[in-house]
Amino acid sequence: MTPPDAGIRPARRGPSARAARLKQAQWPLAFALLLLLVVANAGLGPLLEDTGWWWLMTFAAAGVLLGSAGLRRAGLPAFFGPLAGFGVLVAMLTLFFGAGSGWLWLIPTGETVDRFRDLVFSGAVSVEQQSTPAEATVGILFLLSAGAGMIAILLDTLAVILRVPALAGLPVLVPVLVPGLVLTGAANLPALVLTAVAYLLLLRVEIRMRQAGSLQRPPVPARPGSVSQGWKRAPGAPGGAVVVGSVAIVAAIVVSVTAPVLPGGSVTGTRPGSNLLFSNGVSPMINLGQDLRRPDAEPVLHYRTTATRPPYLRLLTLEEFTGRNWVAGIAPGSRENTVDDIALPPGLSPEIKTSETITSIGIDDLATRWLPAPMPARSVTGLLGAWYWNEGTGSIASPGDTTIGQEYTVTALTLEPTAEQLRQAEGAYPAEIRRSLRLPAETPALIGDTAREVTAGTATAYDAARALQDYLRGSDFAYDTEAPVEDGYDGGGIDVVSTFLEVKTGYCVHFSSAMAAMARSIGIPSRIAIGYQPGSLSASGSVAGVGRYSVDTHDLHAWTEIYFEGVGWVPFEPTPGRGAVPAYTRDDAAAVPLGESGANAPSNAPRPEDLGGQQNADAQSDASSLAEELGGILRLGLLLLGTLALLLLPAAWRVTRRMLRRRGILSGRSGAADAWREISDTAVDHGVFVRDTETPRELAARLRVLIGSAPGARGAGIGAAAAALDRILVGAEQSRYGRPGGDASHPRAAELLADLDMVLRGIRSASDRRARARATLLPASLWRPAERRTDSQPRTRRIYARE
Amino acid sequence: MRSVPVPALAGSAGGPVVDADDETLMDLPSVEAAARAIIRNVETVIDGKRAAVTTALTVLLAQGHLLIEDVPGVGKTMLAKALAKSVHCSVSRIQFTPDLLPSDVTGVSVFNQVERRFEFRPGAIFANIVIGDEINRASPKTQSALLECMEERQVTVDGATYLLPPPFTVVATQNPIEMEGTYALPEAQRDRFMARISMGYPDTESELMMLDARDTASPLAGIEAVVSADQLRGMMTAVRGVFASAAVKEYTVSLVRATRDDRDLSLGASPRATLQLIRAAKARAALHGRDYVLPDDIDSLAVAVLGHRLVASSRVVGHHQDRGPVVDDIVRRIVAATPVPVGAPGHP
Repeated sequence: MTPPDAGIRPARRGPSARAARLKQAQWPLAFALLLLLVVANAGLGPLLEDTGWWWLMTFAAAGVLLGSAGLRRAGLPAFFGPLAGFGVLVAMLTLFFGAGSGWLWLIPTGETVDRFRDLVFSGAVSVEQQSTPAEATVGILFLLSAGAGMIAILLDTLAVILRVPALAGLPVLVPVLVPGLVLTGAANLPALVLTAVAYLLLLRVEIRMRQAGSLQRPPVPARPGSVSQGWKRAPGAPGGAVVVGSVAIVAAIVVSVTAPVLPGGSVTGTRPGSNLLFSNGVSPMINLGQDLRRPDAEPVLHYRTTATRPPYLRLLTLEEFTGRNWVAGIAPGSRENTVDDIALPPGLSPEIKTSETITSIGIDDLATRWLPAPMPARSVTGLLGAWYWNEGTGSIASPGDTTIGQEYTVTALTLEPTAEQLRQAEGAYPAEIRRSLRLPAETPALIGDTAREVTAGTATAYDAARALQDYLRGSDFAYDTEAPVEDGYDGGGIDVVSTFLEVKTGYCVHFSSAMAAMARSIGIPSRIAIGYQPGSLSASGSVAGVGRYSVDTHDLHAWTEIYFEGVGWVPFEPTPGRGAVPAYTRDDAAAVPLGESGANAPSNAPRPEDLGGQQNADAQSDASSLAEELGGILRLGLLLLGTLALLLLPAAWRVTRRMLRRRGILSGRSGAADAWREISDTAVDHGVFVRDTETPRELAARLRVLIGSAPGARGAGIGAAAAALDRILVGAEQSRYGRPGGDASHPRAAELLADLDMVLRGIRSASDRRARARATLLPASLWRPAERRTDSQPRTRRIYARE
Repeated sequence: MRSVPVPALAGSAGGPVVDADDETLMDLPSVEAAARAIIRNVETVIDGKRAAVTTALTVLLAQGHLLIEDVPGVGKTMLAKALAKSVHCSVSRIQFTPDLLPSDVTGVSVFNQVERRFEFRPGAIFANIVIGDEINRASPKTQSALLECMEERQVTVDGATYLLPPPFTVVATQNPIEMEGTYALPEAQRDRFMARISMGYPDTESELMMLDARDTASPLAGIEAVVSADQLRGMMTAVRGVFASAAVKEYTVSLVRATRDDRDLSLGASPRATLQLIRAAKARAALHGRDYVLPDDIDSLAVAVLGHRLVASSRVVGHHQDRGPVVDDIVRRIVAATPVPVGAPGHP
């Protein structure tokens, strides 16, 4: 055989491979889309506090858009983009919000799905509860990230796959227009204008890419002087895009300026301005004050009860103190937690005396997703819609229904612990209760100082709680619903608490949050309950000795609940002149003087909460933070390991394929043809663009140049590798195109293998380090095989009739 | 119809083309060596035109006819003559002019007064290699007489048919630029030629060398035949035996079909083109000592074999006076865009 007549037609096919793939990735388009979305997301600014949420949204959008573009860059068909984007989004959400429930923290499991559902619910609840600018709670962050990711996928689909980037302006109108709809008259013009600019930039990028022919796929190699370049621009397409885009922008501006602001009551169908607790996106704490300040009390509900003392009707509890606000934790119960059988509250031991009461409640005018009920409830009957109870709080809520027009009966327990029982409650708090000890980092010293001062000399948590309650109910403090608003310290934030402790004037929100914050500062788990105080007995309507109580908007109330190990959450009433002080905190329950605190506390021992408790709590928190840190490191390590394994998967696949081919060659089952396939695959791995329109000889000519270009290669080595390449080429050609059984280039398999190795080494040494690393870790031949067995017709189209 | 062997012609001992069994079969290395010798020989008079020379030889070995299209003075006739002289066989040359008659090409029956009967005087076509200069200057009638002989490899005069002995190759030249007063070959007649090549201008170096070497003497005088007619026939037989795999055939067909579907072409290539492309590719494979055809052979011959048969749509030709380069570019584009079948190893 003669040496192959290479170079007959050198470099005939060849747009730069790199350029072709870069075009396919369409990076400029991806970045323009990202910019558009990020700018549009900033339009949510007036609704939310801080900027952390914006970064998270940017991160989610970037992950989706750039991940999708990256896959296109890797040579995957464009329609994989959105799928990949969705995958990236799910993985990112699992990583950030899954709390380690995902497999390898990336792949969602059933638990993750449950968690996501909870997050959606809690996010929705947070949105309902908070006033604007709202604090971005975990739930809200989750909703925002998921939303940004979904919009990014939509944009990617519109702009890259359907190639109508003009329509990409529609999805981004959502974040731009939402503030305009939520806030009265807040047409966020700067955000709108910025978005419009980003949108025009996107159109510009797209037009430029069209003009450059980047959007044409596949790139048909064109000869210089060739008249036909294959792709012809659709006439007027960019012009149309601009028109559509301009119309969209103008429409957006017009809509955002003129859109009627949704009336607060329209959601519930009752008249605006009535006591629509939480329904118009206002914080419960603020709303509560507004309801209390309302000159005319509106009826809210009425009830009859078998209880001897009319019960507090609790709506929800706020256990997370973020610093600016008290917010509800993750709220929804599992779907199995139907209200016909509610479990005993956590931490309640059978030694505590309880009595069962039955209360029938009828809603007059209240629209909320939280059910007002005496707590702890054991069962509720007569409700319309789906209502579930929550394990942690016992609160009853519905994901979709409201309290409007409900008539229902609640069977509830009345806890009647004795002071002695409460005093003896001790032991380490469970982990989920310890969360109710958290105070914001910026808590002023005044709160802790006041708490220690007030509780000095008390021996038990119970006594300390009572001391706090007594302190707040004392004559120093005045109940006033107007003063805080006038003086500008309304709400339940940590600064408000500190101001309140100085001014000593406020209403139930201030009293309850002050007590809760002070309790937490000395190591007692506490939370705030929101609901209605018992209301007033109607003169009329007493049936068979069971009185009818009416509750109006002025009865809306907040109080504090304290956790006792073995008893559970127990309500306290720190607000003077409101509600009723629980029996177990009244004086007739015999306050225990110092030194008589029981067998477990030595008389002159320091109060556990004061010193030991404090240290204990510190030690506990130290220990838990250490454990958290260790867990974090472990999680990070596992995450890295999992990621590493995932990243090495393509490499392993490629190595296996190479091994199988070598084995086939060695056993004589396959010959030079397989060796050639391995060579061309390796070439693809190392960034050589191999087309299916290329003959082996043409590829060989290019590989010979490549091998010859190896830095530091000696002449003889190059010659040997080139000769080996030629031998394999001839063998492959003979086996492909020669007579059957004509491959006689390598009589011995070992020689063929040696030749193959020499060529592969040559290709490897001719590539730079980056290309080698890519060839090992992300072998391109896996998803873009060098030789597709194709008999397809050339991609030409007959447009013009024969002349 | 009588079949009359034509007397008194050098190298005409062989039978009809199809009966090749009794011919000397040449093994491929010898074919390659002989081909190299011919190419070397021709290159002593034509410098720096390896591709054109090789293609011309390929056509000769594939028993096709060659059309050389180029401006005057670049060595069209020189190539044809040198090729003919390198092979020890008969050569005739016809200078086509408008007044050339068909009988000048084919021959004529003349009444022999002595023997008192008509006898046939063979025309210029009765030679192994026929050089037709400026073929487009002849009248269509004469052109078609020549082209009939090319296709049929026989001459019919006065009801008698005379076979043309193998090897028989027509090498025609024409000037694509100066078309005034000429009769351009219609597509049907261009299709008879296996390949069209153009010489192109020599590069500076070759032109300088030419000045030194051929200032005075005619270079053709020094050319000796390096291959006998028998050897040439043996080479042709060997070429016919070259193997073309199913993959290669499939590739050829898809190439040709692509020319029919291409939007820049108003006329695609004929099935005859497919056949001749494979034949030419076999010859090229044999020239390189291979007994099987590679897609590369097809690729490198596609422009020469297909180019002159295609008609570019007027849209792409535009203002180009010479359509040749435009069509050649289209063929190259089609070649570059047609996937090469891999073929199953061991199962051609």
